[in-house]
Amino acid sequence: MKVLNYIKDKLWVYVIKAAAMTAIMIFLLAYKVEGQAICVVTVIFSMTVFFSELWDYVRKKGFFDQLATSLEELNKKYLLPELLPQPGFYEGELLSEALSECGKSMTENVAEYRKQSREFREYIEMWVHEAKIPVASLRLMCHNNADADKKMITQLKRIDDNIENVLYYARSENAEKDYVIKEVSLQRVFGSVAVRNRESLQLVEAEIETSGLDVTVMTDSKWMEFIFGQLMANSLKYMAPERSFVLNVYAENHDDQVVFHFRDNGVGIPAADIPYVFDKSFTGSNGRKDTRSTGMGLYIVRNLCERLGHRVHIESEQGSFTDVQIFFSRNNFYKMD
Amino acid sequence: MTKILIVEDDQALCDELSILLKRSGYAVKRIKNFQDTLKQMEAADVDLILLDISLPGENGEVLLQKYRKIKDTPVIMLTSRTEDIDEVLSMSYGADDYIAKPYHPTILLLRISAILKRSMKTPQTQLYKDIRVNFVKGSLLRGNHEQVLTKNEMIIFQNLLEHQGQIVSRDDLMTALWDNDEYINDNALSVNISRLRGKLSEFGIPNAIETRKKQGYVLI
Repeated sequence: MKVLNYIKDKLWVYVIKAAAMTAIMIFLLAYKVEGQAICVVTVIFSMTVFFSELWDYVRKKGFFDQLATSLEELNKKYLLPELLPQPGFYEGELLSEALSECGKSMTENVAEYRKQSREFREYIEMWVHEAKIPVASLRLMCHNNADADKKMITQLKRIDDNIENVLYYARSENAEKDYVIKEVSLQRVFGSVAVRNRESLQLVEAEIETSGLDVTVMTDSKWMEFIFGQLMANSLKYMAPERSFVLNVYAENHDDQVVFHFRDNGVGIPAADIPYVFDKSFTGSNGRKDTRSTGMGLYIVRNLCERLGHRVHIESEQGSFTDVQIFFSRNNFYKMD
Repeated sequence: MTKILIVEDDQALCDELSILLKRSGYAVKRIKNFQDTLKQMEAADVDLILLDISLPGENGEVLLQKYRKIKDTPVIMLTSRTEDIDEVLSMSYGADDYIAKPYHPTILLLRISAILKRSMKTPQTQLYKDIRVNFVKGSLLRGNHEQVLTKNEMIIFQNLLEHQGQIVSRDDLMTALWDNDEYINDNALSVNISRLRGKLSEFGIPNAIETRKKQGYVLI
């Protein structure tokens, strides 16, 4: 709160007071009051105006300054009504009441939506678990029935992958409590993803080279499995038709971090698209050629990586390769010993 | 015969599991009434239990915890939940393994046989005809004649040996290899099989592994 602006705001009050003062002086002069008495009246009047204004300014400044600092320091501005100081003057009280009223109503509103979104998420999770049971039964039926077609298993796997995607998307948006960070072997995580995708990989006669995967990193194994699964699905989706598919999966072990590389020799990504590949719903020029692209895969990957505290980076050259890198920092913070 | 108890409330899934296990040569028992699941689990005289997590009444984790206080029969948890926390919890309650639905049938069988092997303490060596197979060293021995098998050849041979006389599909062999972090392709499998044949023929058994067209291989 600035003095100058305060005065400017009250300019008309001062004009009226000055006019009143002038009127009093004219009145006193007209009645031929002594100059000394006029002086005293003027001083008393001016002092009254000055001190009352000063008092008013000080108490308002106290309130509004605190309001401004709270607002500036607050990370979540909507919490302002909770931190409001006692105003001690009428307009302030009105403002404060209005603000806390607003706050309350907003809180109720947000709580309502939060409840709705939580209920929806819980329903989705429950639905996913329910949906997996018939998929599991079908999978076993295909296996038990020698006449069953391989194609059915492929389609079942697609259904299962899609169901899985829903689950992880629902979780990635709201996932603070859903992960367990522990020592995880990259070998094991990649292994289970490779086995899950074995049929598709064999179908394209993929050549898989792995090295240095016998390291452990601190992460959540289920989420990592999902992330690797997304990368695998992308590599399979964007194969270069003219050459045989080679997947190079390796980890570099540095002092302060482990860098995991997932490198394929597929069609690659145009340089212009690379900055946007992690954006939501971005399909790029590759995606537009493929109708199955939703633009969600890499978005969820980055979202999950950020939550788990890993950095993800993509390097690619159109027509030759794509290399997705995940950086796991070597942090002893989580270790129990 | 090895006996396995299935504790799973979804009937269709349970039926298919029984078929799968029976075909692989296990005797199957199942629980139909989930009123007093724990008592039935205790009463069942089996070598391994497949336990679903979401069951009517008490859930699988609670059952496992109580069961472990009484018996130490190996238990594999089956679940459609995919949270890590469930796995950590199950393992800490004493599960021997944890498999998420929809499980790969061959992998499920591999895990079952791995756990049974561990709990029954199968010897490190086994006889095939008059050849001693050493799984730890990865070698075949008869008298002074020793042949060392590569990791891949050993995985293949071990699988064929476990199902001696039965057809093992290429797909099953592949799954077993991939499950052991050997991501080989179709050609490499054929190469490995023919090398294995070569090594066996040096013991004077040239036709130990027969090819069944479009079905797989049989170890005679």
